[in-house]
Amino acid sequence: MGLRAIQSTARTLSYYTKLQALTANNLANSDTEAFKADVMTGHRIGAATWPVPVQQTDLAQGAITPTGRDLDIALDGSGFLVLQTPNGERLSRNGSLALDGANRLADRHGNLLMGENGPIAIPIRYSKLEIQASGDVVVDGTRLDRLRMETVEDPHTLLKEGAGQYKTNSATIPVDVTGTVLRQGSTEDSNQDTLHGIVDLVTIQRAYAANVDSLKALDSVLGNVVNEVGKVS
Amino acid sequence: MNPGLRASASGMRAQQTRIDAIANNLANVNTTAFKRSRTNFEDMLYETLQGAQIVHYEGTDTLAPVQIGRGVRLADIQRIHTQGAFERTDNPFDLAIEGEGFFQIELPNGSLAYTRDGTFGRAADTGALVTHAGYLLSPEITLPADATQIGVSPTGVVSAVLGSTGEQVELGKIELARFANPSGLLSLGGNNYAASPASGDAMTGLPGEDGFGQVVQGSLEASNVEIVQEMVDMITAQRAYEVNSKAIKTAEEMIQTATSELIR
Repeated sequence: MGLRAIQSTARTLSYYTKLQALTANNLANSDTEAFKADVMTGHRIGAATWPVPVQQTDLAQGAITPTGRDLDIALDGSGFLVLQTPNGERLSRNGSLALDGANRLADRHGNLLMGENGPIAIPIRYSKLEIQASGDVVVDGTRLDRLRMETVEDPHTLLKEGAGQYKTNSATIPVDVTGTVLRQGSTEDSNQDTLHGIVDLVTIQRAYAANVDSLKALDSVLGNVVNEVGKVS
Repeated sequence: MNPGLRASASGMRAQQTRIDAIANNLANVNTTAFKRSRTNFEDMLYETLQGAQIVHYEGTDTLAPVQIGRGVRLADIQRIHTQGAFERTDNPFDLAIEGEGFFQIELPNGSLAYTRDGTFGRAADTGALVTHAGYLLSPEITLPADATQIGVSPTGVVSAVLGSTGEQVELGKIELARFANPSGLLSLGGNNYAASPASGDAMTGLPGEDGFGQVVQGSLEASNVEIVQEMVDMITAQRAYEVNSKAIKTAEEMIQTATSELIR
């Protein structure tokens, strides 16, 4: 007991501080397109007597909202679009598209959207641009290319880099197209459930306060031991 | 400092921006050919608090790193170029576009701007078709001094009956411009837009041709703002703002508990 218990309670407090920050970030992103909420759980791993944080991203589908914009695409199902960024290929579910200076499909920051044959250039002049459920980009009846829709073996190993981009350390694999469709003219909402987040905040705060109380109790017991029991009369 | 505080503050700032955009949409509910704006957000950078660990726990060998996001930021404010309703004015100089496309107008500095506000008029001195701000329609169409019964066909052909001869003549054709990504256009104010790398190059063509909309004479295009939609967005934004302030309060109270209880 004693100092070790104080250590372990302090680590528990630090766990709840992290959990609060994570929940705050989820709630801040409740309106972020295609945002996937993070989930942190505490586990007793090995000899640890405090919760060791284990984090995963909840990849559940967000609601799909129609926008009426031809260059908005939403992924319905698992998988990601592939972006070519200055740092290499990144996965993203952000389908609010734009064009780069050379009329190629890109995200809003100019990162190129990758098709099976590389970046997809849109003709300078056309009458109808379709991005079909299968990911095929069709202009005036001519199929240009198919958008890459990919994932990794264990999607929970993806690292978030901000701006809706995910970095992967393993090879990407095409997703099973039967389960994933693209919806043109729509975007995917954040999957953060606001109500859930508020309940989490309250729970975190109470748990934190309880641990502060036990830290206080431990401190006073230890104080007694040191100052009273150990007194040389 | 608790990183959660900053994330929540960014969330409140984001919702404030959203409210500003909604207010601007609502203010322009009666602006001819106004296109509503949508605010888009994206998550900020993530901080790795604990790197990936190798453990032997519940069948897994590794634990993913613990990453905490730093909040949210504004990605962009995007114009949504959907069709607005038509308002009949019966003024022959009022033109609306049904479908895709923009009128091309020439700014005083010679560059081209694009607009869907078809409130045209006739320049007093030259007789050319000009916007209500006095900018020339491009390509230029000049109405002779004695032109009456000005007609604009759905395909953009401008014709008039000449008062002197009573003969109907074709005066020119209105050309429209289209963009692959109209949301990427730069707003110049006054209902005018300019091309940008994000919008793609202008595709020009005649109304009614492949992909171009038709011209409707005697009507103007109303704003595409829907009041109910904006109200719903406003309520959502307000609630989201509240939730973020709640998160700040939680973080603050946690710090408060620790400092007041433990430091004596």
